[in-house]
Amino acid sequence: MIDLRLTPEQIEIRDAVRDFVNQELKPAAIDPKRLEPFEKPLMTDFLDQLSQMGLRGLGLPEDAGGVGADLLTSCILLEEVAVGDVDLAVVLGETSLLACGMYAAMNDAQRKRWMPKFEGNDRFHLALIARDADTERGWSYYQALPEDDLPVGTPDLSAKRSGKGWVINGLAPFVSNAPVAGLFIVQAKIEGEDGTVTVLLGSDAKGLTVDEELPAFGEGGAHARWGHGAIASVTLDGCKVAEEDVIAADAARRLLHGDLHARRTVQMTAINVGVSRAAYEAAVDYAKMRWQGGRHIVEHQAIGMKLADVAIQLEAARSLALKAAFVADHPDAVSERSVNDLPWHAVARTFAAESLHRATLEAAECFGAMGVMRDMPLQKYVHDTLVMKHSMDADLASPLVVAEAVAGYTR
Amino acid sequence: MDFSLNEEQRHWQMEARKFAEDEIRPISVGRDQIADPKATFDWGIIKRGSELGFRTLAVPKEWGGHEADFVTQALVMAELARGDSSVSKTFSQCWKWSHLIAASCTKEQKERFLTPFMADHGFVLGKGGTEANAGSDNRMPPENDPKAGWKLRAERQGDEWVLNGTKMFIANGSVAKLFFVDARTNPDVGIREGSTMFIIPRDTPGFSIGKVFNKRGWRFYQNGELIFENCRIPHANVMGEVNGGVKARANDKSEFGDIELAANALGICDDAVGMAMAYARNNKRAGKLLIDHQLVQLRLNEMYMLTEALRAFVLRTAWERDRKMPDLGNNVLVMNYSQEVVQRVTRANMEIHGPAGCMMHARVDKLVRDAMVWTHLAGDTVQRVKVVKRLPLTTG
Repeated sequence: MIDLRLTPEQIEIRDAVRDFVNQELKPAAIDPKRLEPFEKPLMTDFLDQLSQMGLRGLGLPEDAGGVGADLLTSCILLEEVAVGDVDLAVVLGETSLLACGMYAAMNDAQRKRWMPKFEGNDRFHLALIARDADTERGWSYYQALPEDDLPVGTPDLSAKRSGKGWVINGLAPFVSNAPVAGLFIVQAKIEGEDGTVTVLLGSDAKGLTVDEELPAFGEGGAHARWGHGAIASVTLDGCKVAEEDVIAADAARRLLHGDLHARRTVQMTAINVGVSRAAYEAAVDYAKMRWQGGRHIVEHQAIGMKLADVAIQLEAARSLALKAAFVADHPDAVSERSVNDLPWHAVARTFAAESLHRATLEAAECFGAMGVMRDMPLQKYVHDTLVMKHSMDADLASPLVVAEAVAGYTR
Repeated sequence: MDFSLNEEQRHWQMEARKFAEDEIRPISVGRDQIADPKATFDWGIIKRGSELGFRTLAVPKEWGGHEADFVTQALVMAELARGDSSVSKTFSQCWKWSHLIAASCTKEQKERFLTPFMADHGFVLGKGGTEANAGSDNRMPPENDPKAGWKLRAERQGDEWVLNGTKMFIANGSVAKLFFVDARTNPDVGIREGSTMFIIPRDTPGFSIGKVFNKRGWRFYQNGELIFENCRIPHANVMGEVNGGVKARANDKSEFGDIELAANALGICDDAVGMAMAYARNNKRAGKLLIDHQLVQLRLNEMYMLTEALRAFVLRTAWERDRKMPDLGNNVLVMNYSQEVVQRVTRANMEIHGPAGCMMHARVDKLVRDAMVWTHLAGDTVQRVKVVKRLPLTTG
């Protein structure tokens, strides 16, 4: 059985988000006054409105105050948000993903203490500070993961026992959602031991400092900001954590080493589709309107070929994103042999990152010189898909994650 | 066959390389990161380059220029672009229009315009064709629509012409002292038969600069809006004949404009290759130097292969122009090819560098942004389609 139909509820909420995006968010996001400057502060008013629509707690079970949506539904909605603004989609996707994982990992007392704060405040977002379990995926093809050769940006936190609790010190240079987070989930290396400890830390904790949002150009102009959402560095200086805020070791392992990374990657693929769709929609509208060569340019074969290619790439990428989401929601589809046993998140992300950047560039080309002008949105869509194509999750080596799975290689 | 450069070609190449390395490159990323598009320009670097001869490189010797051949021009553009693509373009834009002056101006006009151009290190040239609703139509006017193309109107009043209208995206718009402007002098026929080219000094009353465009790439380069409101131009400033504007342009057989973009792209590719190789030899992923990863070896191979192929095509085309060989479309093909190469090579450079957490090497990003400009300049569909008429029946 394969059924591509959405439920009436999925269509209803998708259309509600789509209407909000088209009528309110997108016009504000592509205002030349916002597009031209290098710095683009997070549009917090719109973030709050989308949170009120339930997008902050999409994945959270209904009895915990969330929407109880599966990953597939989350992807459908995040694509819609990304058509309007990529940064808001990334912030909401991260909070929703962490809310779901965190709720599962908390004990009852922790839920009682933290969940009302989350549910009661639309501006309460979540952030995770943890070493990625497999930062060198792809690059370490058929070899052991290096222990101490970690890529730039890896958080470096250490925890020291203090009575029944812990004291945490260190720096995490790039933390998604840090500027808007009410609660941090923090993993730190235990000093003098092999293990780690994972704790809950409120943003008001003493010793926790969230730096300014990552600027467009850093280190005296040597580097450009390269990421979406709201990113800042976080410093922990003698941060005391009570034992009651420590996440049980097995729950922490499930949270950080389960499918969190895969789910985030699938969400990012859907967001990537949304960015490219915005470019595509703009190109179709423009091609129908722009008159050159004695006709509307949509009537020229050369423009028709571009639009067709963009539409094809977009549909192919969306199909893979939704398939990857479906597999994450239904792992039994693999065990029952309905779906091949592949890292679908990597398949979808790798394909989408490459094909959607190309497609977005083609959409921009329909605009001629206006495609590169900063008061027009096309150059931003191209840049956003470029950032997604060259990210820690989708880079030169990322297809090798799929190759290892195909070859059956395990470490 | 002989691929060697002569002494003069080598000399200019080395001069340009030194100037790019010592003076252009150090300001390149900083200028790119200035938010205000009007403020990215740096007169200092232009005047300094002019003192070294780069602004007037293409002007014939009888007018005091260097009369460098096309191979030299291509070499110099590539070297300057290795320092900064848009600084290189600011210089070569002057060569483009000095070719036009040499080909289409009268002796009297050359005296009036070339002489001050030669004397002033801050004298930069521009040309206005594009308008808001006239882009592709100017390059390939549709046969069934004589109204297509630029609309800027010029009407004769005695010994003067009165111009009204607006040009868009004009290169060197906010910095040039002299412009060549296409205007309609007969609105009832197509632009090939009904337009005239006017030579217009920047300080002419009724002529002003509007917006300076804010671009993703080539941020140093100034693209501006030219506004003409009852701007009066003496008849003596008509280039070529009345209603012969397109022909005046066509008299310039050098096809320099097409080689220009390809040679500039070559400089960007050389820069990207150098950056990628240095990075791959000095940085590790997963415990191994990048250059020891097959992934990176294959990308470096691709970068070198494409860059050397582009170099061969650029220099061969320049060499053909120097020998005035029949133009069988290579000028356009090399430009179209450069679009694909510059995109692929700058992207490969980004793949090899990769992101550093949530940061990207600023120059690596800049090269990709600069390369995007080629998608509508060098590789646009109109250029590709139009050249087919000139191609021979077979290759080789």
